[in-house]
Amino acid sequence: MAEKSRIDLEWKMLDRAVARLRAGVMAVVFGMSAACALFGATAWLLIRGSKNIGQHLNLLGNFFPGYAVTWPGAFIGFGYAFVTGAVIAWCIAWIYNIVVHMRNKRKSGGKNVLPGGA
Amino acid sequence: MNLQPEKGELCVIIGAGPAGLTAAHELARLGTRSVVLEKDSLVGGISRTVNHKGYRCDIGGHRFFTKVRVVRKLWEEIMGDDFLVRPRLSRIYYNNRFFDYPLRIRNTLKGLGLVESFLMGLSYIRARLFPEREEKTFEQWVSNRFGRRLFGTFFKSYTEKVWGMSCSEISADWARQRIKNLDFMAAARNALVGAKTHGNKVVTSLIDQFHYPRLGSGMMWERLQAKLAEKHIETRLNQQVIRIHHTGGRVTAVTARDGQGRETRVDGEHFIASMPLRDLIRAMDPPPPQDVGNAANSLRYRDFLTVMLVVDAPEVFQDNWVYVHSPEVKVGRIQNFKNWSPEMVPDPSKTSLGLEYFAQEGDELWTMSDDDLIDLARSECVRLGFATAGNVMDGAVVRMPKAYPVYDSKHGESVEAIRNWIGTLKNLHPVGRNGQHRYNNMDHSMVSAMCAARVVRGAEMDIWDVGVDKAYLEEPETVGDVERENMITNEVIRDTFARYDAPAMGTALGLMAAIVLFLMSMTLILKGGEPIGPTLMLLSNYLPGYRMTLVGVVIGALQAGGWAFLFGVLLARAINLVVGMIEGLLLRRIEIVRTMEDGD
Repeated sequence: MAEKSRIDLEWKMLDRAVARLRAGVMAVVFGMSAACALFGATAWLLIRGSKNIGQHLNLLGNFFPGYAVTWPGAFIGFGYAFVTGAVIAWCIAWIYNIVVHMRNKRKSGGKNVLPGGA
Repeated sequence: MNLQPEKGELCVIIGAGPAGLTAAHELARLGTRSVVLEKDSLVGGISRTVNHKGYRCDIGGHRFFTKVRVVRKLWEEIMGDDFLVRPRLSRIYYNNRFFDYPLRIRNTLKGLGLVESFLMGLSYIRARLFPEREEKTFEQWVSNRFGRRLFGTFFKSYTEKVWGMSCSEISADWARQRIKNLDFMAAARNALVGAKTHGNKVVTSLIDQFHYPRLGSGMMWERLQAKLAEKHIETRLNQQVIRIHHTGGRVTAVTARDGQGRETRVDGEHFIASMPLRDLIRAMDPPPPQDVGNAANSLRYRDFLTVMLVVDAPEVFQDNWVYVHSPEVKVGRIQNFKNWSPEMVPDPSKTSLGLEYFAQEGDELWTMSDDDLIDLARSECVRLGFATAGNVMDGAVVRMPKAYPVYDSKHGESVEAIRNWIGTLKNLHPVGRNGQHRYNNMDHSMVSAMCAARVVRGAEMDIWDVGVDKAYLEEPETVGDVERENMITNEVIRDTFARYDAPAMGTALGLMAAIVLFLMSMTLILKGGEPIGPTLMLLSNYLPGYRMTLVGVVIGALQAGGWAFLFGVLLARAINLVVGMIEGLLLRRIEIVRTMEDGD
């Protein structure tokens, strides 16, 4: 009986388990991805070269002061993109986790049924 | 002849199988004297090992696998370095082909062919969409979960060989007990984490490997018998209990008969019985009420015989055992003892196979002469391609009556009636597979025996309700390393199969999309210029009303938020679908394993 109830409990826990997003991990991953993407896109245009180099990508300078399609700009853009990607991802994870917490709390009548975040 | 208690209480244990010997060991540890009465000339019950000219033969396959720490510790204590860790390989032989067991998709597709696999897939989908409402029989239970076609291919013929009756007569309880209470966490742990090392020892995986004594499963029980003898606990062989004397709600003594017909009365204070429940009730003196007697008489058992063949070949097949589903032969399963332990054969250039036949005492197979059975086994072995007519050198037959309690439609009611009546005898404790008429594995039988020993010592628990749960046997404050590891892996598994919350994902993505678009647009508006943000304004193709004005930006941000919300919800649902499919595949695989794992 005890075995059965333990297994039932495990099934219940598995059914109720809701994934959480790890804000820190997401921030680092998104930040690095965005930074590398912007650095790569800038470097690609610089290596390819042309008269009107990166006229669209240059528009990012409106949001990232100091960024331009130049080699120094590529590094500046790397920093901006990292911070922006990280902040956005962190916020997404934070909002997601808050909503999950609120919904769980409502479902369980205020009791935290799944300690440990799952 | 009488055996009277000398001093202190004496517990009489009926049966020297895993349950009986474990009870004696546990009682000795707790300081209570016992005597074990065994009707056969060997200890081990169905887990014995028979020796035929140096070739060792188990009665069925007995993997030593448990999650109960005290049982595992006892096995390790008894066997020491003779407890081998063996790789497991078992396959299904059907339609002249081998199928991996547990079933693997690629191998199954290859074996069945694309057309049959496709039809099996359709049958599975049909079963999932339109399941049979009633689930009383094994056939209905399995068909609802795997589809009729897969049931017909991989379950029907073998199950009917094992139980000797149609799958439509077998109670769904059997499948439920074997499958439904599955410990998903443990199985998932094994599937995901695999074999883990614990200290110097390997914690065996449910699927890949197992522990096994060097000279067969019987070695465990012979060693335990010797250990008990060192503690002056006698195991009396060839003593069949024929009468159980009771009066005033207590059993007072048993009478046993030896091979020469001499009877011995053994008095005791407590009685632990692992003998078949039907025989226990029939031996009661005075007899129990009529309805209890009828209930006992309605209990059925399946008997089992092994024909061991010595083959003049160093290797026949790689498996520990092969399930033979092919209906054209009578053999149900073939053990390759050498693959259980190399020391099961005296000569490495030879192989000993155990062809297992499921029978009914008194039926045609059971009453066949040994020579005829060996001839039958030889011809089937040749037919299956495991031997040639000339290279089978020798053979022997081992018969094991009442190997499996039958789960027919009436067994539940009957066991309940017997249990209620036995409950009136305060000092009688049935344990083990046949003692409780329950399809127990070895560790479960041992746990029930350990609990019975504690009841003898005054503990209060209902041994009929004992499962293989550590809580019955271990100190509450003791949390072992394995359990701690399990707790950690349980969390990992929960995380692995946890679903994303779709509304939460939608909200997070929606909110962030709206905020980002709002901030970007406002930055451009505040910077000014003419025209403002022509490139960003291209978004108005998708977000009607989006303009570089405060109102336009709010309208655009709201729409962007809405679309991102939808995207987030769909993304979460898509991820959950994939996670669910992976979990489902794992679950089906485990269910197949549990369904087929009979005879262990």
